[in-house]
Amino acid sequence: MNLPVQDQETAVPQWEEELARVGFVRRLLRARKWYGADWWFVAISSVMVLAFIVVALFPQWFAPYGPHEQVGPRFLAPGETPDLPLLIVRADSGLSTLEDLATGPDDEVSRPPIAVLRGAPTAGALREQAALLDDELQESDSGLRLRPNIRRYDTVEEVLQAVQEGEAFAAVLSSVQYEEAAGQFPDLDAPSDISGGVASAGDFLLGTNQIGQDVYSRLIWGTRVALIIGFSASLVALFLGVPLGLVAGYAGGKIDRVMTVFMDSLYAFPGLILAIAITAVLGPSILNVIIAIAVLYIPTYYRIVRGQTLSVKQEVYVEAARSIGAKPSTILRRYIYPNVIPSVSIIFSVNIADAIITGAGLSFLGLGLPPSTADWGIDIARGQEFIQTAWWLVTFPGLAIMLVVLAFTMLGEGLTEILNPKLRDR
Amino acid sequence: MATSSDILYSVRNLTVEYETRHGVVKGVDNVSLDIRRGEILGLVGESGSGKSTLGKAMMRLRNGSARITSGELWFDGQNLMELSERQMRDLRGSRLGMVFQDPMTSLNPVQRIVEHLTETMLTHEPEWTEEEARARAEELVERLGIRRERVKDYPHQMSGGMRQRVMIALALALNCDLVIADEPTTSLDVIVEAKFLDLLKELRDEFNLTILLITHNIGVVAEVADRVAVMYAAKLVEIGDVNQVFEKPLHPYTEGLLKSVPNIELDSGALYKMEGSPPDLSSPPPGCRFHPRCPYMMEEVCPIYDPPFAPPEGASEDTRVACWLHHPHPQKVAIGA
Amino acid sequence: MSPLALIFLIIGIPALIGLAYIFVRGSAGLRRYILTRIGLLIPMVFILASLVFFVMRVLPGDPVRSSLGPKGSAETVARMREQLGLDDPLIVQYGRFLGDIVTLDFGNSLTGGRRPIIDEMSERFPATLELVIPAAGLALLIGIVGGTLAAARRKRPFDYALRLYSVVIYSIPVFWLGLIFQLVFGVRLGWTPIAGRIDPVIATTLERTTNILWLDAIITGNWAALWSSLSHLVLPVVTLGLILSGVFLRLTRVNVIETLQMEYIGAARARGIRERIVVGSHALKNAIIPVITLLGLQVAILLAGAVLTETVFSWPGMGQYLVQRISSRDYTAVQSVITMFAMLVALISLAVDIVYSLVDPRVRY
Repeated sequence: MNLPVQDQETAVPQWEEELARVGFVRRLLRARKWYGADWWFVAISSVMVLAFIVVALFPQWFAPYGPHEQVGPRFLAPGETPDLPLLIVRADSGLSTLEDLATGPDDEVSRPPIAVLRGAPTAGALREQAALLDDELQESDSGLRLRPNIRRYDTVEEVLQAVQEGEAFAAVLSSVQYEEAAGQFPDLDAPSDISGGVASAGDFLLGTNQIGQDVYSRLIWGTRVALIIGFSASLVALFLGVPLGLVAGYAGGKIDRVMTVFMDSLYAFPGLILAIAITAVLGPSILNVIIAIAVLYIPTYYRIVRGQTLSVKQEVYVEAARSIGAKPSTILRRYIYPNVIPSVSIIFSVNIADAIITGAGLSFLGLGLPPSTADWGIDIARGQEFIQTAWWLVTFPGLAIMLVVLAFTMLGEGLTEILNPKLRDR
Repeated sequence: MATSSDILYSVRNLTVEYETRHGVVKGVDNVSLDIRRGEILGLVGESGSGKSTLGKAMMRLRNGSARITSGELWFDGQNLMELSERQMRDLRGSRLGMVFQDPMTSLNPVQRIVEHLTETMLTHEPEWTEEEARARAEELVERLGIRRERVKDYPHQMSGGMRQRVMIALALALNCDLVIADEPTTSLDVIVEAKFLDLLKELRDEFNLTILLITHNIGVVAEVADRVAVMYAAKLVEIGDVNQVFEKPLHPYTEGLLKSVPNIELDSGALYKMEGSPPDLSSPPPGCRFHPRCPYMMEEVCPIYDPPFAPPEGASEDTRVACWLHHPHPQKVAIGA
Repeated sequence: MSPLALIFLIIGIPALIGLAYIFVRGSAGLRRYILTRIGLLIPMVFILASLVFFVMRVLPGDPVRSSLGPKGSAETVARMREQLGLDDPLIVQYGRFLGDIVTLDFGNSLTGGRRPIIDEMSERFPATLELVIPAAGLALLIGIVGGTLAAARRKRPFDYALRLYSVVIYSIPVFWLGLIFQLVFGVRLGWTPIAGRIDPVIATTLERTTNILWLDAIITGNWAALWSSLSHLVLPVVTLGLILSGVFLRLTRVNVIETLQMEYIGAARARGIRERIVVGSHALKNAIIPVITLLGLQVAILLAGAVLTETVFSWPGMGQYLVQRISSRDYTAVQSVITMFAMLVALISLAVDIVYSLVDPRVRY
């Protein structure tokens, strides 16, 4: 086996030398050689965790739409171009968007005629969009209104003919329908879709859900909820569990025994079920979810901290300190506390992962979070019934959960290998 | 003079390296050693001197990240370095045996004593039957002073001294030629230790054993060994007949070791303490490794040149020392040493 | 006789006999150990049940009113409250609650037909068992074998691959995996059914005794039912089992690695014992012991996963029952189910502790 030999003749660039003088960095780089793949585990997962935190803090940088905006057609598959209804006008009319058809009190035609295909869904879309724009116009005090006179025709050709001949100011058809017949009507043009934009597949990276929301945006916004729950629940559990563990381990005796029986019972009980019970009682809100999950993890911190405290307490140096009159608070602070920190940090990381998964499970069951929250679990639950036709509704939120949980778990796992002295080679 | 047929195991220029966070370290640095048939050779040194590493390397046992990087191991006319792992496995337990320091942790807690023994036997002699193996195990255990019914016990049910005797039994199960005992008495109290050493001598005579006794306790060596070898900082510094070495130690380190042993008979006088502490093996001192601590250090020679491990001027082959006090060097003439 | 009682008998009687045997033949240390464990059982159930009780009572609002909905007139509500004793002081209610548990009287369901809850649970309990036991078995198999192999090949690609596997599979939400399996194997490939325990048509032909369907099918020789119930079992069991296997793999691996660093392993190698036996027998037998002690705690994860798996696959077990009862605000039922889970967990802990005491000779002698 080739042993790494330190080659002292290699010239090291100035900045690297200076950097390496910083103790932490030097240890970090040496650690890479020593720990091998475990180092990569921790490195990669740290980067991932940081990335997720950034996304959770600033979702608006990454998400094109808000979590509740119904901006697209329903059930759009990922990569599919939305088939938005097009606005078709005469090329020489000077009209380009639906809003251009708005009329004021002075216009001769107060209700512009627009042609649609009889029975097509584009008709309904037109009506909706027109109503929306009309409301906006009313609010804006511009004096303009949009109240189209919708004329129905039996075939696509008739619709387009009506525009061509001026019977209608504009027509609304799906892009597929327009494409088929456009050749016959060279005078016509389709400058935009009825919502005023020009849609493309890139608008909805991962498709849309059953009420037209962008799946990708909801994924980004969901990160915020997931991480809030994860961090908060773990922090609360930590702040409650660690002191309790310290007290129990240090004090011993009856206090210890009573608390431990209590904590062991709690620990042994299926967490999800307890969380279900608590959220059922407290009601749906994000705070209650955090509380419910935090309660679940208090015993974890308690046990580890108590165990460590007990073993450190028995060390000779602690006895020595006590014999020279050191106060309990000093002993706790100087000897026990530093030994406890590495384990607690690892548990914290794994805890966040657990909390996120438990939270997702809760929201999947419809408990805990208010139904309007943008949350991955809720999305999966809602997408469940459409799984056969719209597989992306369920797949992507699930992948998101998996990636976030994976990042935190890998971090914890990797740190365990590195920090656990028993796992090192002698 | 030792003839080649007398020599059971010959270590030649063995170097063992292992990895640490600070780089590559030589745990055993160019060590050569001969063990004669039927003798008890004591190998003495502080913790970290490399004696355990040497012991394990002699059986080519897995030892953390340690690797034998050079040297030869001649056992009964065969170079062990040329053998495959399977061939080594055949030797281990049947011709080469090891007794470990802590018998509590060296025995499998979920395996009965008898199973330890029969498993070893049946691994090397598959034609034997269970009953034969068991019978032999019971005999062996009784010879070592343990009631035969106790073979059915688990390790935790036995006392420390009994467990250590079980360890010997395991080495004797197939009549090993060489037994390497790595700190066998360190975990035993003094009385048990004395009994153990007596037993060792008896068995050596009865079974014609050869024993390499690795220890940091010189007293044990004085009790039992025929010859003694002293290791310091991964190198051998002295070897010779035990009485001779104890009476007139050649190497300053050996002298220091002997002086450090508290002696009940001598009264008054402070405890002798050797200056300094063993070197960091990842960057050992230049020249003679002991020179920073040596009261006889010669400025022009010792910190620069590494002394050879050879018989001192005028002495027989049996004694060797690595110290410039006993070997000529041009610089010594210059300073008039 | 209700299936629940039947199961308790099937498990309980041999267990009691075994316990008695161990007690009589074991050493004093063993006896003490078992007694302590049994002694801890009671406080455990007590604590959990009390927790459930108080959590339920903290409820803001009136459980009866919210379960009856707008239909309930003030009189009906008052009458029900009196019937359920909800107006009595808390202490009295608590006392009655404890008494009820001991006699296994769980009362009647608030909504959904007012059936005795014990009957509902009796039907669903075997369903949960049917799912949970094979899943645990699968998880243990993968976990122990994988963990040992990974430990033996530590720091080599195989080890990292398995560690990656265990971390990834642990991160996958069990309900999501179930849905994906449904999609891929049920819908796209059409290999297995995706919901329920058995084809409803075939179900009518099956005579139930234990309510463990494949068992009943074997007993009555109904091969169509056997095939149907087994094919319905595949996806849920594999889903739950895979997720859990990650946990066991990690656990086994860490313990085997620690064990391999023990002196007696080196001593065994020094006697020429083959590496395969050193790892597979010497190391594993020792490493398994801490794994067993932690087994009881993994049951918690198993049951939590079961709730979600049952929901995804419409598996009519205790988990699905719990979720349904919560949705319909049937608090009596919810309380009872959780108490039942608590008892189950306590019993399993006890069982695991006893197994551990038999396996570790240091405790046995």
